[in-house]
Amino acid sequence: MNEHRTSEQRTSERPVVRHSTTWKPETIEDIQAKADLGRYRIRGFSALRDRPLPSFDDLTFVPCTLTRVPLEGYREKCSTKTVLGSRFAKKPIEIDIPIMVTGMSYGALSYNAKVALAKAAARAGTSTTTGDGGMLAAEREHSDILIYEVLPSRYGIDVHHLRQADAIELTVGQGAKPGTGGLLLESKVSDEIAELRDLPPGVDQRSPCRHPDWLGPDDMLTKIEELREATDWQVPIFVKMGAARVYDDVKLAAKAGADVVVVDGMEGGTGASPDILLDHTGIPTLAAVSEARVALEECGLYGTVQLIIAGGIHSGTAAAKALALGADAVYIGTAALIALNCNKPLYVDDYHAIGAEPYACHHCHTGRCPVGITTQDPELMKRLDIDAGAERVGNFFNAMTLEIQMLARSCGKSDVHALEPEDLRALTLESSMITGIPLVGTNVVFAGGPGWKPSSER
Amino acid sequence: MKDIDCTGKTSRVINQEIRHHIQAGETDIRVQHPQARHNLGVAVLQQVSLTMSGSVGYYCGGLIDGPRIEVQGSCGWGLAESMLNGTVIVNQNAGNSAAASIRGGTVVVRGSASSRAGIAMKGGTMIVQGNSGYMTGFMMQKGTIIVCGDTAEALGDSMYEGRIFVGGRIADLGNDAVIEEVTDQDQEFLATTLAQYDIAAPASFQKIVSGRRLWQFDKKDFDTWREAL
Repeated sequence: MNEHRTSEQRTSERPVVRHSTTWKPETIEDIQAKADLGRYRIRGFSALRDRPLPSFDDLTFVPCTLTRVPLEGYREKCSTKTVLGSRFAKKPIEIDIPIMVTGMSYGALSYNAKVALAKAAARAGTSTTTGDGGMLAAEREHSDILIYEVLPSRYGIDVHHLRQADAIELTVGQGAKPGTGGLLLESKVSDEIAELRDLPPGVDQRSPCRHPDWLGPDDMLTKIEELREATDWQVPIFVKMGAARVYDDVKLAAKAGADVVVVDGMEGGTGASPDILLDHTGIPTLAAVSEARVALEECGLYGTVQLIIAGGIHSGTAAAKALALGADAVYIGTAALIALNCNKPLYVDDYHAIGAEPYACHHCHTGRCPVGITTQDPELMKRLDIDAGAERVGNFFNAMTLEIQMLARSCGKSDVHALEPEDLRALTLESSMITGIPLVGTNVVFAGGPGWKPSSER
Repeated sequence: MKDIDCTGKTSRVINQEIRHHIQAGETDIRVQHPQARHNLGVAVLQQVSLTMSGSVGYYCGGLIDGPRIEVQGSCGWGLAESMLNGTVIVNQNAGNSAAASIRGGTVVVRGSASSRAGIAMKGGTMIVQGNSGYMTGFMMQKGTIIVCGDTAEALGDSMYEGRIFVGGRIADLGNDAVIEEVTDQDQEFLATTLAQYDIAAPASFQKIVSGRRLWQFDKKDFDTWREAL
């Protein structure tokens, strides 16, 4: 008998191995990876937290029964038309559906992916957005409606591109890493990408997070005016930000003259980011939309300044709930890439070669995307057929649209923009607190949402 | 020469008048009494000459491609920001972030430039006849900065590429900015470029370039990265 064994172990033929909840395998692996790297870890994709974030899945629709009358589900007309930027712009954006493609750079994405998204958006009657690397000529050519991002890095900034855009998005930050700039690692800074961004080929590009020529909201007001002058007040100016102090930030953006405010929640994806920022910064999209709506209502600008919500929108249900909570449209990014084949079990050996596997790949930062989406390698890129990819994304847009309409009709709405908080109930105490929507089985409004107030005013 | 009097007009109206005159074929336009209005001469894409007879506010000559703009006074932030081509000359001082992110053309500040002059430059040339503030050339990517006077702290911080010439004293170099020997070609370039704008060259210049240690992360070079991030 080994004297060092505990009495518990002695009583068992096969001793129970106990796992620490503090020192989980993931925690141990993380420490050992950093002990090798000597820096924070970098990866792509989205938050990978152990504990699920509060999300739209924590809400359920309460469709019509006797208190309200539904529309005939598969038949009656239900409008999805969406107008953005009617506040100051002469030519607001009119799109057929309230789903748009968010900004993802040519550099983070392959040429084929950018063009496929442009074609898909055009077919679905919606818009796409440039990203942190300037405007790709083929993207302009294939997009009916293209939003041009003006980012802190100003990579590829070109007044001629600005004037070809259907809207300008002044980007303050993004949900994946609010308060920090983007990354594009060496393997993706090809000669072409370097040329477009005026960088040395093969550097680890670290984008700034602060605009070079303005700092706070007062300066931003002047910057917005400059962009309007440059585009003759024709096109809408969006202001996009990562979701942090949304209640105050949305008010500041609206006050500075934005036509449209875009709020990107912490579930937002990225091609590369320090992983701590993906998992530990920003607030969830559910909370972001709730704060943003009340901020605009309190300014008297709800309905005048449109609200686009982004960050982890994966289905028509999530989009419909965002609309009901106050969004005018949603951006999708990761979901569109997944429709393109991201994480699909194709070329499985190549997933394994980069330390990933299908359905659990977040290796966009490596530039070795097995399905040709987040890569600059010409051979990998060939794996993404542009037209087939565009068809899949177009189909996904259509499916999401049908889902939104289905939920809207069931709630008696002939326009998806008529969805409202009253159409929802909260499944968790947490989501009720966040949104101000009653918990199922109760008529209690705990806090939050349209009644949201900063603690100082409660 | 066409005159535009800014008195009582918004920047929007003044810019509309500038565009109207350009479309009518005018190539020499004088904007009188600008009174530090913002966004004057933004996004002018023709090779015309604009003279601002006084001081201007933020983003004068921002997003231009081609014109020659002379400011007969001082300017606010973001002078000529994101310019593709053209020449912007300020006869007095420039506020923060002069020549921010320009991709081509030349910016000349005959007085001194404030902080972050030449930030994120992607090409072109910025000349400061006087002194320039802290973080001049911050995150510069390409192009040339010439400062005839002194520079404040963190000169050339985190620059990717490009070159900075300083005629006076350098208070402090930024992260990964290093001093390199001035070559004969550099001397010739400096003499020719400064002569173009009737600027007397200082007795000598120091040349600052990227040390390229921030191009890729190196765990053995932790001290640099701790400061840089």
